[in-house]
Amino acid sequence: MRLPVAAGLATAAVMITLYPLFEGGAWFWSCMGAILVTTLTGVAASRLGARPWVAPAVTPVTVLLYMTAVFAHEEAWLRVVPTKDSLALLAELLGNGFEDIQRYAAPVPPHAGITLLTAGGVALIALLVDVFAVRLRRAALAGLPLLALFTVPAAVITDPIGWPAFVIAAFGYVGLLVVDGRERLSRWGRAVGVRRSSGSARAATPDTERLALSGKRIGVTAIVLAVLVPAALPTLSPDPLFGFGVGNGLGGGGGNIGIPDAIAKLGGQLRQQTNATVLTYTSSDDVPRYLRIYSLDIFDGTKWTLAPLRGRPQDRVSEGPLPPVPGLRPGAPVKRAEMRITMSEDIDELHFLPLPYPAREVEADGDWRADRTSLMVFSTEDQAAGMEYRVVTDEPQPTAEELNAAVTLPESDRYLQLPDGLDPRVAALAQRVTADATTPYEAAVALQRWFTGEGRFTYDLRASGSGAQALSRFLLRDRAGYCEQFAGAMAVMARMLGIPARVSIGYTGGTKIGDEWTVRTHDAHAWPELFFDGIGWLRFEPTPAGAAGQGTAQVPQYSLPVTPTAEPSAGPSQRPSSEEEDSGESAGPARPNPRQLDRDLDGTAVAADPGTPAAVKIGLGVAAALALLLLPAAARLLVRRRRLRRLTRTAAGGHAAWAELRDTLTDLGMAGDPGETPRALGRRITERYALQAQAAESLARVVTSEERLRYAPTPSASGPVADDLHRIRRALAPRASRWRRLGAVFAPMSVLLRVRRAGEGALDVFDRLEGLRPRLWRASGGTRARGTATTARRSGTASAEGAGSAKEPTLTGARR
Amino acid sequence: MAVTPDVTDPAARLEDLVDTAHRIRNAIESVIEGKGDVVRLTLTVLLAEGHLLIEDVPGVGKTMLAKALARSIDCPVKRVQFTPDLLPSDITGVSAYNQQTREFEFKPGPVFANIVVGDEINRASPKTQSALLECMEEHQVTVDGVTYELESPFMVIATQNPIEMEGTYPLPEAQRDRFTAKVAMGYPEPAAELEMLDVHGASQPLDKMEPVATTAEVAALIQAVRAVYVSPPVKRYAVDIVAATRTSPDLRLGASPRATLHLVRSARAHAALSGRDYVIPDDLQDLAVPVLAHRLLPSLEAQGQRRHPEQIVGELVRRVPVPDAA
Repeated sequence: MRLPVAAGLATAAVMITLYPLFEGGAWFWSCMGAILVTTLTGVAASRLGARPWVAPAVTPVTVLLYMTAVFAHEEAWLRVVPTKDSLALLAELLGNGFEDIQRYAAPVPPHAGITLLTAGGVALIALLVDVFAVRLRRAALAGLPLLALFTVPAAVITDPIGWPAFVIAAFGYVGLLVVDGRERLSRWGRAVGVRRSSGSARAATPDTERLALSGKRIGVTAIVLAVLVPAALPTLSPDPLFGFGVGNGLGGGGGNIGIPDAIAKLGGQLRQQTNATVLTYTSSDDVPRYLRIYSLDIFDGTKWTLAPLRGRPQDRVSEGPLPPVPGLRPGAPVKRAEMRITMSEDIDELHFLPLPYPAREVEADGDWRADRTSLMVFSTEDQAAGMEYRVVTDEPQPTAEELNAAVTLPESDRYLQLPDGLDPRVAALAQRVTADATTPYEAAVALQRWFTGEGRFTYDLRASGSGAQALSRFLLRDRAGYCEQFAGAMAVMARMLGIPARVSIGYTGGTKIGDEWTVRTHDAHAWPELFFDGIGWLRFEPTPAGAAGQGTAQVPQYSLPVTPTAEPSAGPSQRPSSEEEDSGESAGPARPNPRQLDRDLDGTAVAADPGTPAAVKIGLGVAAALALLLLPAAARLLVRRRRLRRLTRTAAGGHAAWAELRDTLTDLGMAGDPGETPRALGRRITERYALQAQAAESLARVVTSEERLRYAPTPSASGPVADDLHRIRRALAPRASRWRRLGAVFAPMSVLLRVRRAGEGALDVFDRLEGLRPRLWRASGGTRARGTATTARRSGTASAEGAGSAKEPTLTGARR
Repeated sequence: MAVTPDVTDPAARLEDLVDTAHRIRNAIESVIEGKGDVVRLTLTVLLAEGHLLIEDVPGVGKTMLAKALARSIDCPVKRVQFTPDLLPSDITGVSAYNQQTREFEFKPGPVFANIVVGDEINRASPKTQSALLECMEEHQVTVDGVTYELESPFMVIATQNPIEMEGTYPLPEAQRDRFTAKVAMGYPEPAAELEMLDVHGASQPLDKMEPVATTAEVAALIQAVRAVYVSPPVKRYAVDIVAATRTSPDLRLGASPRATLHLVRSARAHAALSGRDYVIPDDLQDLAVPVLAHRLLPSLEAQGQRRHPEQIVGELVRRVPVPDAA
């Protein structure tokens, strides 16, 4: 009889996790009512001994009656019985509900339609759970519909579900399993033909109570672990309990401005006419500069992503100049410029600062840190919106000779890595375009020139993607795209030619309005950066600029010098550029799956500082594990220090000396029976380990003091001192094996036993709570016969347990 | 130990006690060689105002022990040899009609002494056994409606042959319960036996024994023992041990509350004999087997495994945790 109830409770428990989806509590009561109706139907079916198919057949009817009564009673006959009108009303409400779901984001307002829809869904789940658990006796399978219900909030809401809700839901399921297991067991003992005879049922229950208890213990332990372990291991995932991830807010919705929207809703953004201001800046030399936000250095064949960031505390921008510019030869001529940047208040969540490259100094409020390899500046806590900050940049000023002389030693070959399976024709194309180039620099210039001119590319915002296929299509067939394709294609081709390359995302220099430079949504941009040893990363601009391209894009000066040979080496130009352009673009990075970027960023556990991914992560893991392993040792040390302190503070030392002695012996594996008296212990240790006179004296002092303290009317005047304990430990340690000694330090048994006792204590509390429940129930409603039966059974199990414990070293009989 | 005016007296008494006890022990041990433990236990029972049951095969010196104790204290000693035809009145005494005074006159039996030695108690009929055992508990004898107080101190030292032997009536549990402790003499060590040959070969050493203590002295010692401190944790420990015999699956019958009382009382005496004015768990542990074992009945399983109550009590004592601070 309990099983249908448990099924209902389980559904109700999981239903609670829906709370973040709704405003107000109306849905809750409706859903509870639906579950109640379903459960009552199930209980009635079970009580009447109906066949298994009856309940699933009847439940929809009762649920319909319930829905009618709640949502369409004014049209119903006797407020309950459905009529044609009431059915029509329900259908209409359902339609409204579906519309509302489309219209509103969670939390949804408590409209009748949505409530009806939810109650219906919950009733369906309740019915399924009832069918699995009660009718088919497959309680474990009932977890599937419950899980389905649980995934609804998990899928809809980006925020994590609160752990209390999870615990309640989990308890619901565990409770269902426990009740099922019990009922199963209790059937064993029943005599044939007296299925509902209460007497025989009673006789059969004895064993199940204890079994249920252990089942619950296991369940509770599992749930506690499920909640605590992920919380204790933040590196397992970007755990929302901790909020470690670097969110850039790419997933935000609504009509706000900034890159996040451009990526998240690319289709809509491209057609968007509004062109909001993202930031304004002034610069000391009044020259516009590209402002980089992200630097993407990994191309995996489908998209460009960024390597995990490293934000070490010493790389805080407030600590001084940023890390050295990668690849820049010390003493190379640079042009220093200062910019003051004001971010708009209205941009979405952004944890990166748009900065010119290479930034040397950044003055910004908050905990902003620089990534050493890319010089990206980001924060795990602060946001860029509304920020005002100052940045100093040292632009390298390479001469043509230097550029031509520069070799392209990669910082690391990750800037040359390309996925397998790229179209070989792309590589051939790259070779062909740069056939006349003699130096890497010339090759880069040739590529840029090819993209912006000779290649006859068209600027087209309708293109999408930067993966391998999109790349081939863009380079070999369509030759139409926007900055994302241009930047990605040039970076890939550069890598094919052996020039380290990466893709940067940010904004162009914008336009000058008044005294300030203004950067707008439409200035969002992507561009390639190529590496030249001694100079560092240099920006190139393959995207067509001007009216027929990205409006404010600028080709950098150093890529303009006239190169001796500049022949159109490219293949046949497919079609003339159909000057389709205008500002309708918001450009920015257009990943095949824009949200992917968001995840990638979230996934980089910046605070954990995973630099070279595998090795450092493993190292960190090992370090954390070591720290965890050292916990017992630390606890032991703390306890010892506290006791010794107490020893010196009070004359007799209280029981501290004895406790410490006992723990020392436990650690060294020299503990005795629980029935060993202090005196007997002293005798045993002295004799068995052949203590020297001095140590034996110390031991005797500890023992006598403890004995008098415990049992004599007056304690002894002088107690043991810390030296006594040191002496005893020094005398005993060599008698233990090497492993024992190691164990005594790193995994002291005394601490572990204490932990175990604490666990047992917790379980005892749990057991007592459990014991309370049946007692209350018995007190209120249980019959006398049942009560005595239980008592008899209790004493029976107690003596049985006594028998079991007879071989154990301690008497636990008293605990029950 | 801190010596303050108000504890001087008990301390001095304690020293006195140890001294006297030492004399008695030496006296007894001059007669019975190599049985220090048994002698000590005997003294413990004496000081705890209990009664002792000595069980062993014939000829190991049971009676000798009883007699030696009696002789070393200057007090009246009576000895009763239990036989199957012994009557209760042979022990308690009878009211006989005095022709001259024309009155019934009470003729006190052998129980009217400070130390009563009941030899081979399990050879008498149960009726007679119970007559003795009644006086042990009540410290009085009622004959024909008149109650006669017994001497104080009053101690019964009963000896018995192992119950498997011929012609014995085993003591019922209820009566075994009245003995504070049961002790087995055991065969002497070869060296001790050799010495015994030398000593006993020529003369009867018992004859040469001189009393080393008076009744009054013993009474004072008993008073001193009563003052020995028993801390709450030790009391709890005693209760725990006794309770463990009741829940042990190896035992059909556990120890009675009277056993707890006897245990603590004899532990006091044991502590006093060690010169301590407080009881420690070691005292209880030392006494648990002699005080408890003879009252217990092993379960059928334990009997099947040939485990004796002595063994079972020993195991229990090892398992019951020693109480720490109160």
